[in-house]
Amino acid sequence: MKFSMQWIQELVPGLDVPAAELEQLITVRTAESEGVERAGALLEGARVARVLSAEPVGKLTRALVDIGEGEPITVACGAPNCRAGMRTVWVPVGVKNVGGIESNGMLASAAELGLGREDEGIIEWSSDTIDFAPDSILEIDNKSLTHRPDLWGHLGMAREVAAITRENLKDPVDLALLPKGSDSFNVRVDDYVLCPRFSVVTFEDVRIAPSPLWLQYRLESLGLNPINNVVDITNFVMTELAQPMHAFDRDKLRGDRLIVRPAFEGEGLLALNGEEYVLSAADGVVADGERAVSLAGIIGGKGTSITEETTNIVFESANWNASQIRKTSARLKLRTDASMRFEKAQDPANTVRALARAIALMRVVCPEARIGGRLTDDYRALPEPQTIPLKLDVLDRKLGRIVPPDEVREILERLAFKVRDAGLHLFEVTVPTWRATKDIAEPDDLVEEVGRMIGYDTIPPEPPRVACTVPPDDPKRVWYREIRALAAARGYTEVYNYSFLSDEQFQRFALSPDDALRVLNPIASDQNLLRTSLIPGIFANLELNRKHFDAFRLFEIGREIHNLTPAMPREIPHLAAAVYAADGDGRSGLFELKLLLLAIAAEARVEPTAEVLPYEHPARTATIYIGDSVVGRLFEAHPSMIEGRAAILNLDLERTLDLRPQQQPFQPIPKFPSSAFDISVIAPLREYSAALETRIREFAGSLLERIEFLREYSGPQVSEGMRSMTYRITVGSPERTLSSDEINAVRDRIIEGVRGLGHETRT
Amino acid sequence: MEENLAELERDSVSAIAAATSPDELEAIRVRVLGRKGGALAEISKGMGKLAPEDRARLGKLLNQAKAAIESALESRTAEFESAALTARLDAEWLDLTLPPAGVKPGALHPLTQIQQEIEDLFRSMGFAVLDGPEVEDEFHNFDALNIPPDHPARDMQDTFWLTGGWLLRTHTSPVQVRGMERYPLPLRMIAPGRVFRNESVDASHEHTFYQLEGMMIDRDVSVGNLIYFMQTLLTEVFHQPATVRLRPGFFPFVEPGFELDIRCLICGGSGCAVCKHSGWVELLPCGLVNPNVLRMSNIDPDKWNGFAFGLGLTRLVMMRYAINDIRLLQSGDLRFLNQFS
Ligand SMILES: [Zn+2]
Repeated sequence: MKFSMQWIQELVPGLDVPAAELEQLITVRTAESEGVERAGALLEGARVARVLSAEPVGKLTRALVDIGEGEPITVACGAPNCRAGMRTVWVPVGVKNVGGIESNGMLASAAELGLGREDEGIIEWSSDTIDFAPDSILEIDNKSLTHRPDLWGHLGMAREVAAITRENLKDPVDLALLPKGSDSFNVRVDDYVLCPRFSVVTFEDVRIAPSPLWLQYRLESLGLNPINNVVDITNFVMTELAQPMHAFDRDKLRGDRLIVRPAFEGEGLLALNGEEYVLSAADGVVADGERAVSLAGIIGGKGTSITEETTNIVFESANWNASQIRKTSARLKLRTDASMRFEKAQDPANTVRALARAIALMRVVCPEARIGGRLTDDYRALPEPQTIPLKLDVLDRKLGRIVPPDEVREILERLAFKVRDAGLHLFEVTVPTWRATKDIAEPDDLVEEVGRMIGYDTIPPEPPRVACTVPPDDPKRVWYREIRALAAARGYTEVYNYSFLSDEQFQRFALSPDDALRVLNPIASDQNLLRTSLIPGIFANLELNRKHFDAFRLFEIGREIHNLTPAMPREIPHLAAAVYAADGDGRSGLFELKLLLLAIAAEARVEPTAEVLPYEHPARTATIYIGDSVVGRLFEAHPSMIEGRAAILNLDLERTLDLRPQQQPFQPIPKFPSSAFDISVIAPLREYSAALETRIREFAGSLLERIEFLREYSGPQVSEGMRSMTYRITVGSPERTLSSDEINAVRDRIIEGVRGLGHETRT
Repeated sequence: MEENLAELERDSVSAIAAATSPDELEAIRVRVLGRKGGALAEISKGMGKLAPEDRARLGKLLNQAKAAIESALESRTAEFESAALTARLDAEWLDLTLPPAGVKPGALHPLTQIQQEIEDLFRSMGFAVLDGPEVEDEFHNFDALNIPPDHPARDMQDTFWLTGGWLLRTHTSPVQVRGMERYPLPLRMIAPGRVFRNESVDASHEHTFYQLEGMMIDRDVSVGNLIYFMQTLLTEVFHQPATVRLRPGFFPFVEPGFELDIRCLICGGSGCAVCKHSGWVELLPCGLVNPNVLRMSNIDPDKWNGFAFGLGLTRLVMMRYAINDIRLLQSGDLRFLNQFS
């Protein structure tokens, strides 16, 4: 929203603060300013100029002009209307050679001066003086005005400025101008929720013409197109009072009545912007006897709009339901200056104020027009004035600073609140109508009014006085942090991947789209599913980084999101880690990851699996268990997926944490020495070591303290297709030193057992 | 006999001095001092034939000669040992400027690092660190935060809507609500996490970014307390005293609501391109918790109040490391990420 500094100054006559400073004050007291622009910059030093002679030179004119002081000067001018005897405006832009003419300054068009749209020729000037000066335009961030319907007009901002600078505010509205007398026009409101208030005045004998320059200048400098006097008046009032208005050509309305009603399903309207809209019963319209003539609160219809031939007009000034306007505007993708304001919940008291202001402007701009009959003003009930109790001690405690009651009162009154003493430390505060629609409803809202006006910089920072309590700890978070530290120490770099995947990725990684939540409004068509696995992201990381590195490690801790609608989705934290090497046989990467796994969960078991996914190496894939539960997978990427060797660990952290054993009490250190012996088992190459170890444990019996895998070997001395696996068996007893007979008995049992499995042993 | 002794001593000492290896030295020792057949032993054998007074005198001389020879042997041995040690030390020259073998540490993501720092800071001040779901319902993401159904924040262009009526949380604020549902009062909590906005991605915009929500509910929490925490937080994060200012900002879940600006760390407030010549950089929205939000969570706003803030972790990381392209953070590119080890 743009604000004209000159306009604010008209409403706050005592204001004596430069725009750059005012901008800062508004930012820290009211709403965020995005900067100050200059409008009408060329008006600086502009003079009324009489063209003494005009001599064509090629396509240009060499004009000799009198600028009211000194000798006449020569100006080159390309405008077709440049002629001897005319009065126009000269602007000092320096001396330069234009088309062979030594030109001093330039003659300006209305558009160049910022005084209107006209840019066909230089401006025709009738006055002896130029009563315009460059203006500063403050640009205020619309988002910071969301809750302030009043700040969508200059008067609202002027009120803030007056309060901040302790100057007086001048209200431009004179309600006495509202006409009395017999009814001129009928209105019927069918839906007071849609339209709480609908107010109308009419004018006859209107002559449509361009607006005077001062009016055009105001609109132009705020980025609004001047169109004609009547339309410009509606825009001026909207920009001043935040109340959008609409003007109809009365002679194009069929019948004597405007009806406010929901649109008929499929009803059409050709709007002022030339678009044809098809409406539904959820939209509101203003209709005449036969058809919709305006889309309520958003845009007028073309068929009944003001044209150069118009002589009788109807001014509409209505109040519309904010969420209704918002919905229609969103559905039709049509945001207008009017809809933006009505969306903010405008003040119903403002409709007649706007009409009074429009009447005042008509008297100046169209003095020959006659007002037709009295004000037509239809409403059911206007909201009662709202009062809020404000406890001053609560105010001080919430701000963290004492504000003297007189200062509180002054601040609120300057913002047009009414303040009444209602007891000890208690004010009863009445909210002005334009703040009551959705902004101010509670004492806390008043705390904000006082806080921003005293300035938050006057509140000292202070630590709170609170109980010294230990916050609850989240074991998950503590553990994730340990895992991150562990992984980083072991050479893994942490990545963050997006939560989105594509249908194509789901297919490639054999994920079921039925298990996933789908994004209804994705940014791109390849980001339309929520990830149910971290693995596709990890593969993308591998593919990217292998272009730059021969070997690397990375990991991510992130959430899989599984669809369980109607229940809440399940978000399962996972660790995905990968070791990549362009060369080598791939073994070390897998075992490195296994080591990481065991560092995270020592009780995890890596077991062979028959069910292999298409992106996994079929002979290098394992399932990870804790107890009987599957908690993850360890695998090498299938060679068709990536060049080189990529080992990948995928671990369900939630389940792993749940299954982690409790910390056990310590075991005493054995009092009696234990004994150890080694046994090598010659087994077929693909016999799994872990399975063999389990059997050895069974054979060894209760005296076994531990089994340690020492080495594997295949080659000379071991038959083709076989390998030797050597284990160190440690036996002992807490009660005594074992005799050699007892030790030998254990060894013999193991040897016998292993042979029973069909394997040779060596000791 | 006396002469023999003197000669033996002289010869031995000079032979010891001339020895060139420990082996040669050992040979001399055996030849001179050997218990059987050593030269000294031979001389002492002849002593039995002497008169007792001569025997005593010669015995003394013999001991003197033995001691002299032993001492010469000992010092020559020490010389050899010291030379050997010197030679070994020299031979063991090692180039310690070589890079070590083995795996070099990886790096934690810069967002993780800054998040952990801030978590530690707030834990030290008694705040619990909470987690919440990334997929939310409308109630927790909007209604419970005093964002009514027709508020602009619910527009299709801001929120990712999902099948089943779910949505991706647009801020970490729903964790406030879940915190109030779950924990007794008074409550001090922060909630870091991933949030989503339906926005096209470019160097300064992301659809996925990271926030850290904070909330404190107690008996008398003031704007002054909020300023204290924010100043402490930012001083810690930027490792230098931070000056902050509050100005009005509208967020439905706080009242009063603020935008918090930090005095520009680049120019110190005199104005530069980073702060758009204003001397201030907009950093985070905050405010006192709106009574409606408390009521929605069944908390009596006449008895309890509090503050809340939403810190943009992504933005903080970009400021701290002067990162000029937000997309790098989720690129998975190790050329970028390895810089943070
Ligand atoms: Zn700066």
